[in-house]
Amino acid sequence: MRNLLFALLFSLLPLSASALDTGRIFVSNEKSHDIYVFDPDYNLIKKIETSRRPRDMKFNAARTLLYVACGDDDIIDVIDVETLEIVDGIPTGPSPEVFEFSPDESQIYVSNEEDSMLEIIDVEVRITVHDVPTGAEPEGVIVSPDSDTLYVTSEVADMVHVVDRVNGVVTNNIIVGTRPRRFIITPDTNELWVSAELSSEIYVIDRTTEEITEVLEFLPPGFRPEDVTPVGMALTRDGKIGLISLGRANHVAVIDALTKEILAYVLVGNRAWSVALTSDEKIAVVANGLSDDITLIDMETYRPIRSIPVGRVPHTVVIDD
Amino acid sequence: MKRLIAVLIALLISGTVGASEPRLGLLRLADDPRFDDEFAYARIALRPHGDVRTAVQLGISDMQMLANARGLTPVLTEASVDQEGLIDAAQQMVADGVTHLIVDLPAAHVDTLANALSDTQATILNTTAPDDWLRRKCHANLLHTAASDRMIADALIQHAVSHKWDSVLVLRGKTERDGIRADAFLQAAARFRIRIVADREFDLSTNPSMREQNNIALITGGRRDYDAVFIADEIGEFSRYVPYQTALPRPIIGATGLVALEWHWAFERYGAPQVNSRFETLANDGRRMGWQDWSAWIASRAVVTAFAKTRSDELEDVNAFLRSHKLRLDGSKGAQMSFRPWNGQLRMPILMSTHNAILSVAPLEGFLHQTNTLDALGFDESEFSCD
Repeated sequence: MRNLLFALLFSLLPLSASALDTGRIFVSNEKSHDIYVFDPDYNLIKKIETSRRPRDMKFNAARTLLYVACGDDDIIDVIDVETLEIVDGIPTGPSPEVFEFSPDESQIYVSNEEDSMLEIIDVEVRITVHDVPTGAEPEGVIVSPDSDTLYVTSEVADMVHVVDRVNGVVTNNIIVGTRPRRFIITPDTNELWVSAELSSEIYVIDRTTEEITEVLEFLPPGFRPEDVTPVGMALTRDGKIGLISLGRANHVAVIDALTKEILAYVLVGNRAWSVALTSDEKIAVVANGLSDDITLIDMETYRPIRSIPVGRVPHTVVIDD
Repeated sequence: MKRLIAVLIALLISGTVGASEPRLGLLRLADDPRFDDEFAYARIALRPHGDVRTAVQLGISDMQMLANARGLTPVLTEASVDQEGLIDAAQQMVADGVTHLIVDLPAAHVDTLANALSDTQATILNTTAPDDWLRRKCHANLLHTAASDRMIADALIQHAVSHKWDSVLVLRGKTERDGIRADAFLQAAARFRIRIVADREFDLSTNPSMREQNNIALITGGRRDYDAVFIADEIGEFSRYVPYQTALPRPIIGATGLVALEWHWAFERYGAPQVNSRFETLANDGRRMGWQDWSAWIASRAVVTAFAKTRSDELEDVNAFLRSHKLRLDGSKGAQMSFRPWNGQLRMPILMSTHNAILSVAPLEGFLHQTNTLDALGFDESEFSCD
């Protein structure tokens, strides 16, 4: 019997040994302090108990490790993508929420909403090497893939700080709408998109001139402008289709990322925030913070397929593709 | 690098105060009878107290970076005066260049001040007077960041309706403010056909001949049943003894038990914990952020936001932006806010609070409005007229 088990295990090993492209879906739940892991067929395969209040998640470039910012324990938990065990932790300042790696993964940039700082943490020695003062309640962080620039929002000061991440200084402040939250960078058109939750807008910023070029507004049928509270965004790899979660308007907007034309509004759960695309980009997964579930959207028909229960207050969805 | 220099130059230039700089003033009474700590018999501080200066400073510091990015440096002037010196102090501030005067004053003083400053360019922001009659004065130079009595009453009524509390016993104190608050509740109750089984005045004495008014079992007794007891008691001396002693076992709302407020330290959504911790750090007296602090904080945020986001150097344009729907102010209560054009009242969500929890945020789900859901709280445009 034992031999049989060993044989079974060995036969499974080659499959799981390749850490890349498991297709697994990870959902962090900030009030149940865990991460739900689904296989590519949306079967729940594990609940990983994390430190308290897990929120933003990022993979390393090799996609062997998943990093999770845990706001109430001031730590970034490190999870082995293959074994789904917590293998390490990187201490941060108080209440880390959103973070990004430097392109060489030697540094982590964490927005610290309690102290109004962008912390720069050295991954190797595990210490904060620099703090960049920001406006109150910094949130979204994104690193430019092609320069030394990073961007961070201040939710209270209604601005985007442009930061020289090598010298650790703010080089420009761009005033946007009310309560700016998250970013995406478009692959070809050199645009930075910022979601302004409480003015119901997406600001499109030209990264070269650092000027606002367009302000996008959304209004799904049956809703009021003030119900629209956009936060999470995703782009297809070719940069052609954008997905924008509309928060309390309980919809995701699908737009042509080039013309900015609205292609569809998809009904999802309550307070839709984080959006992620599967590797084949056939399905978008949306986390609904106030209905404790995720909704799957068919990207061919732009229709919701099904909703799947997760933990309490799902925050972020990432997919290992 | 070039950009960095530009930012530095902007900072240097902003050191000199220009014509359109945000010049804020804070004015309150040195001895405000509303906040008398020692009023209660046991010298327990029952009423909200503490200087709102911390909150005004927090609002300015929260907006400092935004202001700096526009080359603006907000300046705060403050004074704590006695009742006789109020008008002089305000006029002096305005003469010294204050454009926006944040006041923590009783309604009658705000009214007098608005009249006295009516021929100046200054705007007054009322942070602690909830009286609806002050809104009906329609002073062009007055905005309100305190919720009105009617907004508070409407929030409580929404809670009653959504919990099927069809009938309410009203207890009111003898002060003018208690009368106003109780009357606002009666009006809000009438809109939703909540039945008022009785409306009784309580008495603080122990005089046996007044036992119908000062004995809790008697004042909450009688033959008619009720679903809840509403108490109008701003001093709080009577209401704190009512829970658990009513003739019928019913929940208490209004002055104790479930209260409707602009803000409470227990609120945990929409970035509220961060606002609370910034306040507590700045307060350095261990005080938690109260409803009046929120109103003062949002007043200074509104003013600096208007200066920073108006693409004009003219004070007139700043004031037009401040009063427009484009303000889209974030008060960490999850809704974009602006001032109602018909009476200068800030439309805002109201927190339904117990002593240590926020049960919900009004407008509650299902209470809708034809243009802006926040206008389900307070006198709506169609039912409002200036005196």
